[in-house]
Amino acid sequence: MSAASVRAEAKRLLALSLEGGAVSADRVGAVLAALAQSRPAHTLRPLLRAYLAHIRRELTRGEARIEHAGPLAASEAEAIAAHFTKLLGRPVRPVTRRNDALLAGFRVRVGDDVTDITASHRLANLAKSLS
Amino acid sequence: MAWPRKGPATSLSRADHLPLFFKVLTMTFFSALLAAEPAKAAAHAAPAAGAAEAHGPVADIIQLFGGFGVDGPHLLVQLVNFSLLAFVLYRFAIKPALGQMEERNRLIEKGLSDAQAATRRLAEAHQVSEVKLTEAADEAVKILTQARFSAAQTVEAAKSEATAAQAEVVAKAKATIESERTKMKAEVQAEVSRLVVETAAKVLEQTLDDAQRARLNEAAVKQLAR
Repeated sequence: MSAASVRAEAKRLLALSLEGGAVSADRVGAVLAALAQSRPAHTLRPLLRAYLAHIRRELTRGEARIEHAGPLAASEAEAIAAHFTKLLGRPVRPVTRRNDALLAGFRVRVGDDVTDITASHRLANLAKSLS
Repeated sequence: MAWPRKGPATSLSRADHLPLFFKVLTMTFFSALLAAEPAKAAAHAAPAAGAAEAHGPVADIIQLFGGFGVDGPHLLVQLVNFSLLAFVLYRFAIKPALGQMEERNRLIEKGLSDAQAATRRLAEAHQVSEVKLTEAADEAVKILTQARFSAAQTVEAAKSEATAAQAEVVAKAKATIESERTKMKAEVQAEVSRLVVETAAKVLEQTLDDAQRARLNEAAVKQLAR
């Protein structure tokens, strides 16, 4: 298979793996089982690699990676995820990580989009505006 | 001025004149010798003859001249000799000498005229040189004036150029100083800002507790919801 056909097949498999706009573990398992039965194992490696990259990217698109300084209540994390679900039009689940270097506030990464509401970011902007 | 040294214009040269001159002297000497002997004899015989024959005033005069040795035939001979001598002297000595003198006079006249012409030409040349000197002096004055004018123009141009260059250097220096000042100001401002931010960050990191951070996170969530 050529690289273009591998990418196209991986996209098709990713579309089969989505359920309600989100990656479904059941569907992914079904896709992998079908692939194992229908194709020889030595031809699956590039296709599986491309499929994995698409699945990771899709999972990232469905995660709101929240870095926060100090404690962040679960309800607040859910509120942040709900905000981005509403904003992006697809389900987004929160993944939190504490980082006190941010001083205060939080930074949210959803896919390639970053929303920074931290004291360190504001201080950096202040330093830029002063210099 | 050197006088021209030319030979005599006559046909006889000095070497030709010398033998002729000696011949004339010889003839004169012998003529005088011939005339002297009869005169002496006459002088000795005259008192006796005079006393015997002559009387009256003429005879007295003749006797008187005879007493001085003057005798008619001898006087005639002497006259002839003198005439011959004079002729020979005039023909072969005086005339060539006069010719030479005339030639010399002519040469002198010519020299004088040449000297006068030379003097005149010298005066003319002097006048011409004076005129040329005057013209040269005028030209020199013109050239000097022009040179001074050109020098003044050159100096003025150099001054203007130097002033322009100085102004340009000053402007460049001012611009450089201003640029450096602005750069230093920006660097200082950036450094101060960095220090302020770092200090603020450290202060915040040390002073903020979890409760304060929780409140700030809550405010941030509310801000995000807006």
